Order: sequence, then C-alpha cells, then structure tokens
Amino acid sequence: MSNPTQSAHYGFAERWLPRLVLAPSFLLTIFFVYGFIAWNGYLSFTSSRLLPNFEWAGIVQYQALFASERWWVAVKNLFIFGGLFIGGAMAVGIFLAILLDQKIRAEGALRTIYLYPMALSFIVTGTAWKWMLNPGLGLEKLMHDWGFANFTFDWLVNTDMSIYTVVIAAMWQSSGFVMALFLAGLRGIDESIIKAAQIDGASLPRIYWKIILPALRPVFFSTLMILCHIAIKSFDLVMALTGGGPGFASDVPATFMYSMAFTRGQTGLGAASATMMLMTVAAIVVPYLYSELRGNRNA
Amino acid sequence: MGALAIKNVTKNFGDTHILKGIDIEIESGQFLILVGPSGCGKSTLMNIIAGLESPSTGEVHIGGRMVNNVAPKDRDIAMVFQSYALYPTMNVRQNIAFGMETRGVPKKEQDEIIARVAKMLQMDHLLDRKPSQLSGGQRQRVAMGRALARDPILFLFDEPLSNLDAKLRVEMRTEIKQLHHRLKTTIVYVTHDQIEAMTLGDKIAVMKDGVIQQFGSPQDIYEQPANLFVASFIGSPSMNFIPCHLAEQNGALGVSLQSEGEARFIALPQAAKLVGAVGKKVILGIRPEQFDVVIDSGDSLACKVHLTEPTGPDTMVLTQLNGVEVCARLHPRDAKGPGETVRLQPDVSKAVLFDAETEARLA
Amino acid sequence: MPKFWRGALYAALLVAALYYLLPLYVMVITSIKTMDQIRAGNLLSLPTGISFEAWGKAWSGACTGVDCSGLQPFFWNSIRMVIPAVLISTTLGALNGYVLSKWRFRGSELTFALILFGVFIPFQVVLLPMAQTLGWFGIANSIAGLVTVHVIYGLASTTLFFRNYYVSIPDELIKAARLDGAGFWRIFLRIIIPMSTPIIMVVLIWQFTQIWNDFLFGVVFSAGDSKPITVGLNNLANTSTSVKEYNVDMSAALIAALPTILVYVFAGKYFVRGLTAGAVKG
Repeated sequence: MSNPTQSAHYGFAERWLPRLVLAPSFLLTIFFVYGFIAWNGYLSFTSSRLLPNFEWAGIVQYQALFASERWWVAVKNLFIFGGLFIGGAMAVGIFLAILLDQKIRAEGALRTIYLYPMALSFIVTGTAWKWMLNPGLGLEKLMHDWGFANFTFDWLVNTDMSIYTVVIAAMWQSSGFVMALFLAGLRGIDESIIKAAQIDGASLPRIYWKIILPALRPVFFSTLMILCHIAIKSFDLVMALTGGGPGFASDVPATFMYSMAFTRGQTGLGAASATMMLMTVAAIVVPYLYSELRGNRNA
Repeated sequence: MGALAIKNVTKNFGDTHILKGIDIEIESGQFLILVGPSGCGKSTLMNIIAGLESPSTGEVHIGGRMVNNVAPKDRDIAMVFQSYALYPTMNVRQNIAFGMETRGVPKKEQDEIIARVAKMLQMDHLLDRKPSQLSGGQRQRVAMGRALARDPILFLFDEPLSNLDAKLRVEMRTEIKQLHHRLKTTIVYVTHDQIEAMTLGDKIAVMKDGVIQQFGSPQDIYEQPANLFVASFIGSPSMNFIPCHLAEQNGALGVSLQSEGEARFIALPQAAKLVGAVGKKVILGIRPEQFDVVIDSGDSLACKVHLTEPTGPDTMVLTQLNGVEVCARLHPRDAKGPGETVRLQPDVSKAVLFDAETEARLA
Repeated sequence: MPKFWRGALYAALLVAALYYLLPLYVMVITSIKTMDQIRAGNLLSLPTGISFEAWGKAWSGACTGVDCSGLQPFFWNSIRMVIPAVLISTTLGALNGYVLSKWRFRGSELTFALILFGVFIPFQVVLLPMAQTLGWFGIANSIAGLVTVHVIYGLASTTLFFRNYYVSIPDELIKAARLDGAGFWRIFLRIIIPMSTPIIMVVLIWQFTQIWNDFLFGVVFSAGDSKPITVGLNNLANTSTSVKEYNVDMSAALIAALPTILVYVFAGKYFVRGLTAGAVKG
C-alpha cells in the first residue's frame, strides 16, 4: 500500500526546498559527469595533441588507437589481470568465508586480519610487494638463504611475467573484501533451511554446494561487479608496482590513458582510450543498474 | 456541518485510481472506522484527511472548515501510527513535547500537559525512557499520549493495534474505547480487522477497490450487508454463501436446499422483495449462528458432519449444503463428531439473499 | 565434525592469516633495519638491532629528485585536502539522501539514477576536461582543486550511502513530525541527524579512506607543493637514483598507511559496514 509516491507539500518552502537542496548536486553531476563524458568524447574526435583543440578530425584517434600495439598489449593485460584477479580473489574469498562460517574461535580477530589490506592504498600495497618481489634482495634471496640455490624470480622485470605480479598483489589486497561480502551473505541465510537440509541427511559440503552457494547468487553478482570495476579502473597498483613496465609490458588501459594524455602529449588518443574504458564499464554496469533499480521498484 | 466531511474525494496516480469518489460525513464525538482489505485505499484516505497526501479532486472539511489547502500541522488533528512513529532519539517526555515546542507552547504549559496526559494513560514512570526501552504496549500508549497532548478536534488512528500481540490488542482496544467515552472526541480509525471495526465503531465505512461498499452502524452492516463483499468481510467465521435457485412453490417464494440426497424447499419470509427474481440464480447468506439443531421438523436437513472446531463456548461444525461447505455455530452439547449426522434448521428470517451475478443484495 | 578436520580447518585459517600478515611484517622489520642489515639478511630475518633512522629519513629527509624534505610536506597536504573534502561531501550526501528518500518529487528518482551512475564511471573519462576546467577556475595544481575534485566525485557514493540508510527509516516518522508542525530543516536536524550516527561514521570513514588513498586524482591534478601523500610515496619509491633504500621505502609506505590503518583498527566495524553496504546495495 505504501507506494513510493510524492506526498502533499504545502507552501513555497516545503514544495521548493527539496528541489533547491538537491539542485547543486544535480547540476554538479550533470556538468562534471555527463558534461565531461561528452567533452571527453568530443576530444576523442579531435586531433588534440599536447594541448586540446576543438577541431573535428573524425575517427583518426580511434584508428590510431586500434593500430597501436601498446593499446592492444594494455587490453590483453586487462583481460589477463581481470580474469585471474577476479577468479582468484573470488575463489580465495569464498573459501575463507566458508571456513570462517564454521563457528570459529577468534573469528573477529581473523576477519580483521583478512580484511586490513583493504584499508591500504594501492600505492602502499604496490610499494610493499615491489620490495618483496624484487629480484635482488627479495623473495629470491630468501629462497637462496633457505637452500634453493637455483631459485630465480624475476617476474617484476620480466616482460612476459610482470602483469602477473600485479595479479598477486591485487589478490592479496582484495580477497579479504570478497570474504567479508560472502560472510555477510552467509550470515543472512535463514538457518532453518540449513537445519532442514541436515535433517534430510545432506553432508556439509553438499549443503554448501547445493543450497547455500546458490542462495548467494545476488552477493556473487554484486561482488563480481565490484571486482570487474576495480579491475577496469586499476591504475594505482600498476603504477606503484611496475609503472607499466618493463617498457609497456604491464600497461593496462588506465595507465595507457594516463601516459598518452599527461606524459606523452597525445591528448586525443588519451581521450579515445578513456571513451573505450567508459563504454566497457557501461556495457557491464548499465544492465546491472537497470535490473537493480527495477528490482527495487517492484520490491 | 459535522466534525469531518469528505466530499467526492478521488485520488489517482497516473492511470491507477486509488480512490473513486468517497463521501463520508460524521458528527462531532463519533468514532468512524475505515475498514477493508489491504489495498482498498483506506490508508490513502487517512493520509488525505491528515493532509499528508492531497486528493486529486474533492474536498475535505474538518470542524466545518475546508482544509484542502491547509498544512497538516494547521488542521488541528493528531495521529497515531501503526509503527507508533516515536522519535527514537528522544525520550518519552521529549516525544510528547516536540509538537508543542514547535507550536511555541510555553514550557510551563508543556509540563502541565505532559503531566496530565501521563496521568491519564498511567505512564508517569516511563517519561524518561527512550522508545527502545519500552514494550510494544507501552510504545502504543506513548503514541496515544503524544496525540492526546495535542488536544485536537479530530484524532486519526492508522492501524494502531496491528503490531501488538493478540492479548494486548484486546486490552488496548478496550482502553481506546474507554478513552473515547471519557473524552468524547471525534476519531477516525483505520483497520483491516473486522472485529476491531465492530467493537469500536459508531460508524463503519467498509471499503474495497477505492469505493465505499457500505457506510453505517456496526449492527446495520452485520445484519444488512449491502453486498456479498461486505457480508463476507464482516463476521467471523464468515457468513455461509449457498448457491440456489429462487423458486415458487405452493404460492410461497423460496429456495431448495439439499443435503445427503435429501432436498427441502424452504420458504423465505422476505418474499415481497423477491417477486421479480423468480427463477434467478441467487446466493443465500446465512451466518453460522443462524442454524439450530432440531430432532425433526419440516424445514430441517440431515447433515453429515465433516469436521468440528471447538472454540470453548461454541463448536463450529462443518458440513455441506448444495455442494458447498457450510459452517454452523452450535452449542457444544448439540455438536456431533465427524462422520455423524446432525439435523440442522436454518433460521431464514435473518438470512440475506444476493444476486449471483451482480453480488448486490436482493433481500 | 571429526577432530582431524577441525584441526585442518584451523590450520588453513592460520595459514591464510599468515599470508595476509606477512607483507605487513616484512614492511615493519625492513623499516627498522639499516641497509647493511638488509643486504646481510633476507626478507624475513629479524633485524640485529632496531634503528629508526629510515623512519626519520622517510619523514623529513628522503629525496625525490632534488627535493629532500621527505614525506612530511605531502602528509600535511593530504591532511589539508582530506578534511574539507570529507566534511563537504558527507554533508552534501546527507542532504541529498534525505531529499531522495523522504521528500521525493517528480524527477527525484531520475536524479538519483543520474547521480548513481557516477559511482561507476571510470574516472579516466573526466581527467582531461577536469584538468582544463580547474585551470579556468584558477585552482589547477592546488589543494583547493583536489578538494573540489574529491567532493564532486565523492557525491555519488555519499548520496547512495545516506539514501539507502534513510530509506529504512519509516516514513511514518516524517509524517508524525509534519503533524507536529516540523518542516524540512527541523525534521532533518532534530529527527534525522540524531538517528544518523552509524551512517555518518560509515561515510566519514569511507570518504576518508578513499580520498587519503587516492592516487589518480592526486597524480593528475597536483604539482610541486600540492601533491598528496600517495603521489609523494610513489615518487619516492620509484625514483631511480643510485641506490634503492628499501628501509626508507618501507617506512614511507607505513607512514602513508598509518592513518587509514589506525582508522581501521579503531573503527573497523564502520569500515566493514561501509564496504559491505556499498557493495550489496550497488
């Protein structure tokens, strides 16, 4: 019965105040989000180099972008990084959440430990892992000291492997977050369902696999959304850990855009790559948001 | 003009018509019940009276004044909500004082009013507690106290008892009724509970689909329901509805009832109103208490008991008439067990008849 | 559950805890070693003596390029940036959430949807126009410019947080207050704000963490003496001068991490609530 309807407002103040209060944020959003999206879109169709200019140049920047080897390396890296990071963080997070859900002693302390990396800046994480993975005094030396004299670990400076170091650090930072989301989801499940399944004689792994995890579908999807989002936006970690290097071997679209637009004076190309990023995010987010908002309306 | 008059009020949201022309008028001091199933528009009507929503068309008059363009706070009303709507961060005293503070009532007067209300509702000892420290019944009481402190010309109660457990609900119901007797205030009370409606109301408006189905005294509505919906909504267990054909036999109008292969023609005393309807499909409405157990008589039927539901003072006996389930409220002494046969005689003098198609009452 | 499995369970949990703690352990012990100790030992070996020399250097003596004042100026920049940015974006978010949940009007849902999308855009798409706009307003490469950027792009999440929290406050409370004669501001200040302590904590902490940890806006919209700490740290750690001083890097990283770690330790409950609420609600 409680339709989300506007209620009656009386007098000038009550009728206009809400609109007035919302107006600044509305205008800021229109200008700084949608206006800027359009502006950036326009830039991507100009021949802007060091300084933006507004002369229409058609799709030359996109042609340049798609012809750029570096861009395709960045895209490929995003897929490698995104796939491994999302899959890995999801697997570790869900696994830990299930373990923690077994009425564990000191659960609070463990949870705190698993989640603290999320409070850190990616720059801090990157700096720390850069030190640990460095080929001189880091992991390699540790393994030598432990007697593995032939152990080498040079991923950080290896063109083929550097993107995987980003995966390692990102998983370390974000898997606790996945754990927290799923643990919250697990705690939200009606206990009587589990009891009913136990009475039916189902084993614990079977209960998780057949009943509990399927019930967490919504959590799974929102977590997936967030991880996708972190992956596509990922910039800080790559900058801190590898700087996109060696060369541009570990570039991702976000670092590609930054170097084109702000260090290499390729403004138009940077704008085109940013537009591509936006379209990718929109392709994932818009259907999700649409279903979420519709769902809320019907609830 | 009375304390509250609602004139041809409608409410639309786009193409959805929530209220389709409501007319109600009550006198000062009356207790008006708006009752109906959820979605019938009663809460919307309440909000319109309070001024929290505005009607699409029509007028609302409170105390003889047209209030369509008057803000809720200036309508001289007070409201008790289903969730009590107590301000959670304020204690009871502050909850009651908040409105007076806003209206600029002097502090001294505020204290007097709070003291008076607290005494009236026996909640002096609760004044310094936060709502979260109160039981459901106590919260209910504070919500009423907050309304009383306002001393308005019209009280609005929006399902105030639905969040209480069964026992407390009955107690608070009595208390509200006593309060009404004592204060002689005008009250509009929304509920979906027909027992609350019957016990509290001077006037009941039964609503469905945004239309008032019937407006009258509780007794009227119980005995003379305007249509099949009202008859089924008011009364528990519900009225029995038995499909029949209206026929004429030996100069008398009546219906045929069948049970266990045995058929009886039962003449209806309301014949005068039914002349035009002979041969039509009708629905005979008989309340469960309108059955008597007899040894044998011309109008009684042998009925096989399917199930019994003892309630203590009465036992509900379920059986079949004309192929539909029928409930009879019998004295436990007369009730037989399942599988046994009991002879029932319907008291048709109080029975009502509905047109099977339009569902309107014929007699 | 059999004893064996119970044991395995705790063992697995403990291993996981070590995995998360190890980098922190490495950072801390590296930061209190001297470079000689670092070369002599390995990642995990305990220091032979505790030295806070690296901390001192990271704070006020480490060089990036020709500038040798350590992280100190960047730390204060971040403080001067984060406080106004957090307060303004939280206040605006609370007001927006209040209107969007309790004073809906024709078009308010659309406005919400428009604002909400801002949570998801990759910020790369606003960098170029923003750089130019900040220039026009004369606040390019300044703390004020960074505050502006963080307020604008923080609005979406603060609004979302408050709106979702306020939606769960029953509308009847607002109706009761209106019948009591309270208007828009009075209801907000007397009824809503006193009920908002948990969500205010969540949003303050969320915004603080986000803005303190931000690197993208910092590196693009600041220069010289307006750089925030993340940029300072990154420059320090990635500066390619002669010898890498890992102990100084680790001290610097810990300095940069300290504020958010402290917040996490003392208000972790709200931090986690923010993370999960932000996630589950969209």
